[in-house]
Amino acid sequence: MPELRRDPVVGRWVIIDSDHSKGPSEFSREDNTPTRQAICPFCPGREHQTPLEVDAVRPNNSPANTPGWMVRTVPNKFPVLSSDGFLQKEGYGIYDQMTGIGAHEVLIETPDHDKTLTDLSKEEMQAVISQYQGRFRQLSKDSRFKYVVIFKNFGPSAGATVEHTHSQVIALPMVPKTVLEELKGAQQYHQHNSRCVFCDMISQEYQDKERIVVENNSFLAFCPYASRYAFETWIIPKGHSADFASTDEVIRAHLAQILQDVLKRAKKALGDPSYNYYLHTAPIGYADGMCYHWHIEIIPKLTRSVGFEWGTGLHIVPTLPQDAARYLREA
Amino acid sequence: MSQLRKDPIVGRWTIIATERARRPAAFVDPQSTLSDPKKCPFCHGADKSVYESQGVKVFNSSSPILDDSKPFEHHSHGLYDVAHSYGSHEIVVETPLHIANMADLSSEQIARIFQTYALRMQTHRKNPFIEYVFAYKNYGVAAGSRNIGHSRSQIMAVPVLPMRVTDKTSGAKQYFETHERCLFCDMIDQELKKKERVVAQNEQFITITPFASRFPFETWILPKNHHCDFAEGIKDHESQLAAMMKDILLRFKIGLNDPAYNYMIHTSPVKRPSAFKDDYHWHIEIIPRLTRVAGFERGTGFYICPIPPEMTAAFLREVDIHA
Repeated sequence: MPELRRDPVVGRWVIIDSDHSKGPSEFSREDNTPTRQAICPFCPGREHQTPLEVDAVRPNNSPANTPGWMVRTVPNKFPVLSSDGFLQKEGYGIYDQMTGIGAHEVLIETPDHDKTLTDLSKEEMQAVISQYQGRFRQLSKDSRFKYVVIFKNFGPSAGATVEHTHSQVIALPMVPKTVLEELKGAQQYHQHNSRCVFCDMISQEYQDKERIVVENNSFLAFCPYASRYAFETWIIPKGHSADFASTDEVIRAHLAQILQDVLKRAKKALGDPSYNYYLHTAPIGYADGMCYHWHIEIIPKLTRSVGFEWGTGLHIVPTLPQDAARYLREA
Repeated sequence: MSQLRKDPIVGRWTIIATERARRPAAFVDPQSTLSDPKKCPFCHGADKSVYESQGVKVFNSSSPILDDSKPFEHHSHGLYDVAHSYGSHEIVVETPLHIANMADLSSEQIARIFQTYALRMQTHRKNPFIEYVFAYKNYGVAAGSRNIGHSRSQIMAVPVLPMRVTDKTSGAKQYFETHERCLFCDMIDQELKKKERVVAQNEQFITITPFASRFPFETWILPKNHHCDFAEGIKDHESQLAAMMKDILLRFKIGLNDPAYNYMIHTSPVKRPSAFKDDYHWHIEIIPRLTRVAGFERGTGFYICPIPPEMTAAFLREVDIHA
């Protein structure tokens, strides 16, 4: 019989279809291999086609906006928020609004158009992660911003509009709702138990074992008990840490390793699925570091969310998390 | 410059594109042709209905995700809570005719469909395990419907309160505690003053595009008179609600070239109705499926709406539904 499961952090119920738990072969497969595009603005040699870079990893100290980079971050040519101007807040009867201040950047993960994250070398993958951290640190200095979201849309059905592999960075003047819900749930749990709910989740995942995908010295990858999506996978630091921006070089190297490992497993088990991932970390200047625990949520795009899920927030998950974890472990 | 707008009910911020806003016509997205009526299971099905009246039939879903044959059990697994998936999942076949879009049904038939929702809600709420009853519709493949071409909607009775429901009820409760007024009633008053987001209205109902819309052409129908509960609140107003729904669905069909859409009735939780009587206000959310939700929205709950709701309301107001 299908199960209702409740997420211990935010209190969200989901329905898990345990009777007909779907295996990888029951989802349609995609092919997201890059195809050579003549006029890709993210390829080296076309640096002038993007806005001027805000940061880059350049091993040979080549000049900005020229080839020779490993990772390159540029402002989005079509930003959803603008970084110029003052943040003005206004009340309007019962409504609140503010000017659309923020930053919207594109982080080009490799100069090589033919590669995706799973093809990068160890050093290249580490350069991506340290650029993530660099953007966090840089954008956190802007007093208008309260939160920095780093996320990736891979494949057209996950929302990628440019094929050349890239992530996006959005700095916001407020904390987004999903993160607020996590913070609130984690604070409540901490008040009652004086422990971090995510740390407790990690201990229980070790006890249960069946939802663990893979681990290394610093990180655990698992399919959450109350997953919202089939094959949803979280990567979480084993040691308590609220803030991604404070991670050191060793931890970053371990993150690069496990993130690529999980993406390779998803690719092998599920064909070459489109996916999204996003990094959830504490808001800028967050004082209550004992409650929150940063993590990455990876969601392969295997099903369309239907009207019911959108309207209720009650997700129907076609694959048992422990089955998903097993397929990924064995991949 | 774009705007950031906050939904006063649940506190969700939305980015509304203003300068680079896409024109309304850029969203027009015709559906693929619908399938063969000879193979339609709702024209020729022999399943036993649980309710039937004046051309509206209610069946138990043939592939239910919820099951009420065993009593509801709820236990913990360490940190986690788990229950078996108790409840009901019903299909409402809205007409005996092979018509795909509710917009093409008569107002009288749509009124009967709403009466059916109310009756089923009242039946399910007698079950002490049920916390909430949803009535919703997926029309078109992009909205999650199978391509059958026969107008239908769904009813789900569940033993837990889903997150979007508690978001709304707790936001409304907070507002009431501060102001001693219903947030939705205040919203209706404010919308009626300037009317820039009003799409249509009649004596009992108003249709708006909400201030902090998540999706382009997101539209809400609200009763002008306060009532927390759909099943009780529509009594004697079914025909006005049906006329309003048909009006809006025709504006979508004609103005946006028959797009896929979802609607969902938001009503008060079924238990302890007196707890919601003053602060909650039932309403229907209708969302044409014109854009895909991408990673940013899924990961943050922060939506980017590519067109201001004032522009979509103006566009929908101007659609000639009598053409």
